[in-house]
Amino acid sequence: MDRGLILDVRDVSFRYAGATRDALAGVSLAVSAGEFVALLGPNGSGKTTLVRVALGLHAPRAGTATVLGRPAGEWPRQALARVVGVVPQREDNLFPQRVRETVRLGRYPHLGAWTAERAEDRAAVEQALERCDVAGLADRWLWALSGGEYQRVRIARALAQEPQLLVLDEPTASLDLRHEMELFELVRGLVDGQGLAAVLVTHDVNLAARFADRLVLLADGVVRAAGSPADVLRRDIAEAVFGWPLTISSVDDRPQLTPLRRR
Amino acid sequence: MRRWASLFAVLALTCRATDRGAAAGPAHRIVSLAPSITELLFALGAGGQVVGRTVYCLYPPAARAVPSVGDGLNPSVEAVAARHPDLVVLYRSPQTEMAARQLEALGIRTMMLRHDRLEDVARTAQRLGRATGHAATGDSIARTIDSLLAPPIPVPAVRIAYVVWDAPPIVIGGGSFLDELAARAGAANVFHDLSTPSATVAIETIASRDPDWIAIVRDSAGAPPPAWAARREWRTIRAVREGRFLVLPADLFGQPSPRAPEAVALMRQLLSR
Amino acid sequence: MKWLGLILALLAATLAAIVLGPASVPAGELLHSPIFWELRLPRALLGLLVGGSLGVAGASLQSLVRNPLADPFLLGLSGGAGLGAVSAIALHLGGAWTLPLAAFAGALLALGLVFRLGLVAGSVLDPRVLLLGGVAVGAFCGAVTTAIVTLAEASELRNAFLWLWGGLSGASWQTVTLMAVYVPLPLVVLLAAARPLDLLTLGEEPARHLGADVLATRRRVYLAASLLTAAAVAVTGVIGFVGLIVPHLGRALFGGRHRVLLPASFLAGGILLVLADTLARTAVAPRELPVGIVTALVGVPLFVLLLRRWTAD
Repeated sequence: MDRGLILDVRDVSFRYAGATRDALAGVSLAVSAGEFVALLGPNGSGKTTLVRVALGLHAPRAGTATVLGRPAGEWPRQALARVVGVVPQREDNLFPQRVRETVRLGRYPHLGAWTAERAEDRAAVEQALERCDVAGLADRWLWALSGGEYQRVRIARALAQEPQLLVLDEPTASLDLRHEMELFELVRGLVDGQGLAAVLVTHDVNLAARFADRLVLLADGVVRAAGSPADVLRRDIAEAVFGWPLTISSVDDRPQLTPLRRR
Repeated sequence: MRRWASLFAVLALTCRATDRGAAAGPAHRIVSLAPSITELLFALGAGGQVVGRTVYCLYPPAARAVPSVGDGLNPSVEAVAARHPDLVVLYRSPQTEMAARQLEALGIRTMMLRHDRLEDVARTAQRLGRATGHAATGDSIARTIDSLLAPPIPVPAVRIAYVVWDAPPIVIGGGSFLDELAARAGAANVFHDLSTPSATVAIETIASRDPDWIAIVRDSAGAPPPAWAARREWRTIRAVREGRFLVLPADLFGQPSPRAPEAVALMRQLLSR
Repeated sequence: MKWLGLILALLAATLAAIVLGPASVPAGELLHSPIFWELRLPRALLGLLVGGSLGVAGASLQSLVRNPLADPFLLGLSGGAGLGAVSAIALHLGGAWTLPLAAFAGALLALGLVFRLGLVAGSVLDPRVLLLGGVAVGAFCGAVTTAIVTLAEASELRNAFLWLWGGLSGASWQTVTLMAVYVPLPLVVLLAAARPLDLLTLGEEPARHLGADVLATRRRVYLAASLLTAAAVAVTGVIGFVGLIVPHLGRALFGGRHRVLLPASFLAGGILLVLADTLARTAVAPRELPVGIVTALVGVPLFVLLLRRWTAD
C-alpha cells in the first residue's frame, strides 16, 4: 500500500437495481494525499456513481473500493466522516440557519451524542471559516448569501471535519465566472497548503485541466482516459467522448478545449 | 283565567305561522323524530297513529314496536318518507330545519317543536293533541303540567348538581327541564345560574359550589355509583366522598315528559331518604 | 439569559395555574385546600408534562418529515386514539381507565400502520410517505369513528367527541405519576438523536456524509415522538396547535440546533399549555372552554410577534 494513498478503487463494476446496463464497468481510481483529481465526463457517464461506490454507499458487483486500506463498506459512518469531507451536489436546508451554525455541523463526526463541544471544535470551525474566506460572513443567514459564498461555506463545513480527502460533486454548477475561479483557487490552495487530497466532479473541463493534477475521463461507465491533463485532453479522445468537434489550445501549459461551431 | 287566554292567543298566532295545513284534519300516519315527542304522542293516546320513530325512542315500551327511521337530530329524509307519513314532528334545530324543508318539498306536512322546559311540554301537548285528533287529552296533559308549575317554587331544602358526563365534566344548567324538576322537588340546582341546558365546568367548580347531592340519570333505578366516583380528583366533591348519589331513572328523567309530576314526586321521595 | 426567562415563565405559569381558578380559594387557605392538592396542582403538573411532550414531539417530527407545518397529530395518532376510545364506549367496556387505555391502544395501532406504510422498499423510512400515510390513516380512523358514533346506540358516544376535543379535566395524581414515569425514556431517546436530527435537516445525503445513521435515527425519532404523542392523547385527548407552534417559537428564540431546541420546546410547550388551561378555566367561569381553542388563541399572537421580530433580522 502506498503511503498517502487514501482512496483506492480497483476494477469496480456496478449496476443500479432494475437498470439494463452497468453504471460502472471495470473502473479504477486512486487518490493520494496532496493530489487534486478531477472526474470528468458527459452526463450519465457514472461520475457521481463512482464517488458513491468509492465511499461505500453502494456495494460494487465486482472489484474493490477501499479507503485508507479498509473496504469502504466496512467503515463506520462517523469514522469515515472524519476522513472524507463530502460536498454533495444537492442540499436542502430545511430551516433558516446561520453560516457558523452550518459549519459547526462539520464537527459532528468528532462528537458523540452527549459530548459537549470542546475548544478544539470551536477552533476547527474558525479555522475552516478563515481558510474558505467566509469568516466575515459567519453570522449571516444562509439564505442571504450569494451562490459563490454559499458554496464556500459548504466547503468550510467539509473542512471543519478535518478530513484527509475532500470530495466535491459539481460544486461550480451554477456559479458565475468569478466565483468559479475562486472556488477552484480555494481547492487548489487547500491541497497545496494543507496536504489534503481532493476529488472534484465537474463539467468544466478547462478549469479542471488548469487546476487539477490528474484527470479521469469517464464515458458510459468506463474510463476512457486517465492521467495528466495533457495525456487526457487530446483531440481524438475528447471528441469521441463528448461527441463534438473540438480544437485544443494551451493556457498556463495546460490544454484547453474549445468546441467548434458546426458550419 | 285571562292569563291563559292571552297565552292561547300567542299560541294560536305561532301555530298559524308554523302549522301549514293544520286545518287539513288530524294526522293518521305520524313520524316522530324525538323521544320526548314519541312519549307525548303515546300519552295523548295517539300511539296507534305513530308509524315511525327514532332509534332512541324507547319509551313507552309500546313504542319499540314502531319501525325505526334512524337518527332524529340528523334525520334521513328518505327513511322518513318511506313510511308515507302525513305528519312529521321534529325537534327544532338547524339540522332539522333543513330536513323539514326537504320534507315539505316532498309535500309532507311538518311540525317543529322545541321543549327544553316543562311549560313548553304543556304547549306542545296541546298542539300535538289538536294535530292528532286528541285535543281533549292534550288539554288535560297541559292542565296537569300547568298545575304542577302554577304554585310558587318551594324554598329549596337541599342543593344538587346534575352530572351527565365526567370527561370533560358536564353539568345541567338552568335552561333544562331537569333544573325545573329539581326546583319543584325542593332541590336547588347549584348551576341554575348557567342559562344553557348543559355546560362544561371544572371539577373544582362543582367542589366549591358544594352540592348536597349529585344527581345522575341512569337506565335503571338501582344502578351503582358511576366509575368516576372512585377517582381521587372527583372525591374533592363532598357529595361524591359521602356517596350521596341521586340515581334518576332515564324513562322519567331522560327527556321532558308529560309524566313530570311523577318525576317530581319520585325526586322528592329520593331526597327525603 | 433566555433560559432564565423561560424558567421564570414556567414558574409564573405554574403559579398562576395553582392560584387562579373558577373556585375562589383565598391565598392563605391554598395549602390546606383539597382543591389545591387534588385538583389544581396535579392539573398544572399534567399540563407541563403533556404540553412539554407535545412540544418536543412536534419539534422532532417537523425535522423528521421535513415539513415545518407538521403537527404530532398529523401522523394519524389522533384518529387512532379516537377510534380506540369510541370503540371502548360502544362496546360498553367499563372501568375508570378504559378510555385512556383504549385511546393509547388505538394510537399505537395507527402508529404501527403508518410505520409499516413508511417502510418504502422494505427498509427505508421515507418522511414523505410517513406524512402522507399519517394523513391517510388519520382520515380513515376518523371516518370509522364517525360511522360507529352514527350507527351505535350508546348515547354516551356523543360525549366521546367532547373527550376527544381535549382537556386537562381528567388530571389526577395517578395520571401525573403515569406520565412522569413514562415520559423520560422517549425524551432521552429524542435528546440523544439531537445531533443526527441537526444533520438530517440538511437532507439525507449530506447527513449520511456527515456520519449520521439516517435509517436508525428516523426510526428512533419517529417511534419516540409518536409514543410521547400517544400518551398525551390517551391522557388528555387531542390538544392541537401546541405541537405545531411551539417548535417555531423555540426556533425563533433559540435557533435550530436540536440540543437546545428540544429542551426549549419541552419547556415552552408546558408553559403554553398551562397558560392556556388557566385561561380556559377562568375566562368564562364557571364554564370551561375547550383548551385546544385557547392554545390557538394564545399561541397565534405569540407566534406572529416572534415571526415579525425574526423576519426583521
